[in-house]
Amino acid sequence: MREVIANMIQHRDLIVSFVRRDIKARYKQTALGVAWSLIQPLSMMIVFTLVFSVFAKVPSDGIPYPVFAYSALIFWTFFSNAISGGTVAMVSNGVLIRKIYFPRETLLVAVLLAGLLDLTVASLLFIGMLVYYKVALTLTALWVFPLLLLQITLAFGVTSLTSAAHVNFRDIGHGLPLLLQLWMFATPVAYPIGVIPDWLRPFYLLNPMAAIIDGYRRVVILGVAPELPALALSAAVTIVLTYVALAVFKRAERTFADVI
Amino acid sequence: MADTVIELSSVSKRYRLRGGGWYVTSIKDELGRLSARLLGRELPPREEFWALRDVSFSLKRGDTLGLIGRNGAGKSTLLKVLSRVTVPTTGSFVTNGRLGSLIEIGAGFHPDLTGRENIFLNGSIMGMTRREVQRKFDQIVAFSEVERFIDTPIKHYSSGMQMRLGFAVAAHTDPDILLIDEILAVGDASFQAKCLNKLTELKAQDKTIILVSHNLTNITEQCKIVLWIDGGTVRMIGDPDSVVDAYLEHVAADMSAEESHHDTPSGRASSSLSILDVTIADEGARPQNGFDREDTVAIEIAYTAAGAVPGAVFGISIHDLHGHDLGGLLTDPDVITVTSPVERGVLRLTLSPLLFNKGVYTIDVHVFDPGTKRYYDLRRRAARLTVNGQSAGSRESTGYIHYPHQWERVK
Repeated sequence: MREVIANMIQHRDLIVSFVRRDIKARYKQTALGVAWSLIQPLSMMIVFTLVFSVFAKVPSDGIPYPVFAYSALIFWTFFSNAISGGTVAMVSNGVLIRKIYFPRETLLVAVLLAGLLDLTVASLLFIGMLVYYKVALTLTALWVFPLLLLQITLAFGVTSLTSAAHVNFRDIGHGLPLLLQLWMFATPVAYPIGVIPDWLRPFYLLNPMAAIIDGYRRVVILGVAPELPALALSAAVTIVLTYVALAVFKRAERTFADVI
Repeated sequence: MADTVIELSSVSKRYRLRGGGWYVTSIKDELGRLSARLLGRELPPREEFWALRDVSFSLKRGDTLGLIGRNGAGKSTLLKVLSRVTVPTTGSFVTNGRLGSLIEIGAGFHPDLTGRENIFLNGSIMGMTRREVQRKFDQIVAFSEVERFIDTPIKHYSSGMQMRLGFAVAAHTDPDILLIDEILAVGDASFQAKCLNKLTELKAQDKTIILVSHNLTNITEQCKIVLWIDGGTVRMIGDPDSVVDAYLEHVAADMSAEESHHDTPSGRASSSLSILDVTIADEGARPQNGFDREDTVAIEIAYTAAGAVPGAVFGISIHDLHGHDLGGLLTDPDVITVTSPVERGVLRLTLSPLLFNKGVYTIDVHVFDPGTKRYYDLRRRAARLTVNGQSAGSRESTGYIHYPHQWERVK
């Protein structure tokens, strides 16, 4: 763990370079450019509003459903893109990995940081929506930052594991979209956490994303602090997972160049 | 020792082969193995391959090591281990100082980014900070000679331009240890000269250099130590001349061990004329393979003819070990003719004096019809010629040919 953090600091310029490459290369020769960061969560929001609110009448804690859905969708999109991008990061940078040594986890960090740009763009629209629906932000909204840090740590942990696995088992690449979809429905993105029956709740909260996504909604829209016990459990799961995942990653890293 | 910058002790590297691929498995494979193990059945053996075995050596600051060996001998794997791209299966190694590599230069380039953006990207992949790249930016651009296109995406560059840019970045990383793989084999002549000069400059700065090349002349000229690697093990390490000599001897012996390649050209006119064997002899017609420069060499070509083959031309061509044609000689069909059936005819070609420099050469022999340009017969590597003499470092001529010559001061 200490080695990983030291690597990050030592190779921060490399990380910055990767981030710049990812962002610049992503929007080269596209007509819409950075607008694509909006299109994904926005279109999901429209579909969710139609399906879950207009047709299925899913409750939304008294919040206008579009805001309710979008508040979760921008963070979920960030998470889901980070997982899919991070998982294939080793294989898609295979040429580099086979030729040059650098700490491989820098690629995962770069994916996360590049994703933050999309999140920022998508958040600008979110702020516009808050103004439109007259949702007043309070200081409680500052909770967003620790929540985001926790979410980034989780995404880093998950991709450490999946990217290392993907190098050896390309099955991961096929299974991942399905997994992410299931994961989203196991997370209160389209529905409020309140609809989960009490007996299921302890198990439900083992999904670290549940408390995080619910947390965003509480601190930004409802203006109340996150549910601390749930969040503490989420943090504990995240830290243990990331710790183990990094150990696995650093071990697997040794043979990446041979296997890719 | 404080001056030791690289130290390898019994480094070995094992690869696993599986279904034709390099140890890429699927979950299905692994589940299959797992269930086989649980049921106590015998596991299908994993194929193994040792790319390196028990390699040990150490280098001091300022040493230049040449790495030679055939394709697949383990040279690239050794470079990969040294550059930390891959981890040895057993054994350990220590490097002291910043390591730069000119292996597959430009590997980190992104085609959609401009030359400028790629310099920063590649520079930081090679371990430079952004500020360092900033500082050396102008030098890098000047060295690469791509100033005009620096803000063009490099996918529009020619491959030569991409390579120059890659080399320019790599050469400015200011490493203490530099790994170079076959760098001198690419690029146009002026760029090669530039690379060689850079190499000399780096050597003058007391950098430690490991150079892989198939060009043995370069190796003997540039290196202080040569390591010959064969089948993943160190076959020999020592001063360039003796290692290169031993290597050449080995390659040549291996070549004659293979049966000389008897081609049956598809465009063959008929089987009426064919080559039986080729021998090399000295002045006294004693068969022999080793000669000194300026000796007399006789090449005897034995052939058989089923009938008269008027107009047939015999020829030889001499090649270096890489197969490059160094020149050949043909018979004049008006002088040498095959006018009647002959069971075993012999032609003798005398080279006097022998003008080749030290080295091992192979000789192709053929007989063809100059009118139809069709071969009656063609024997590749029909014979081998070893020339002894001064080593590359001390002789007064370079390359393969020693021209009869005279230097004088006329003014």
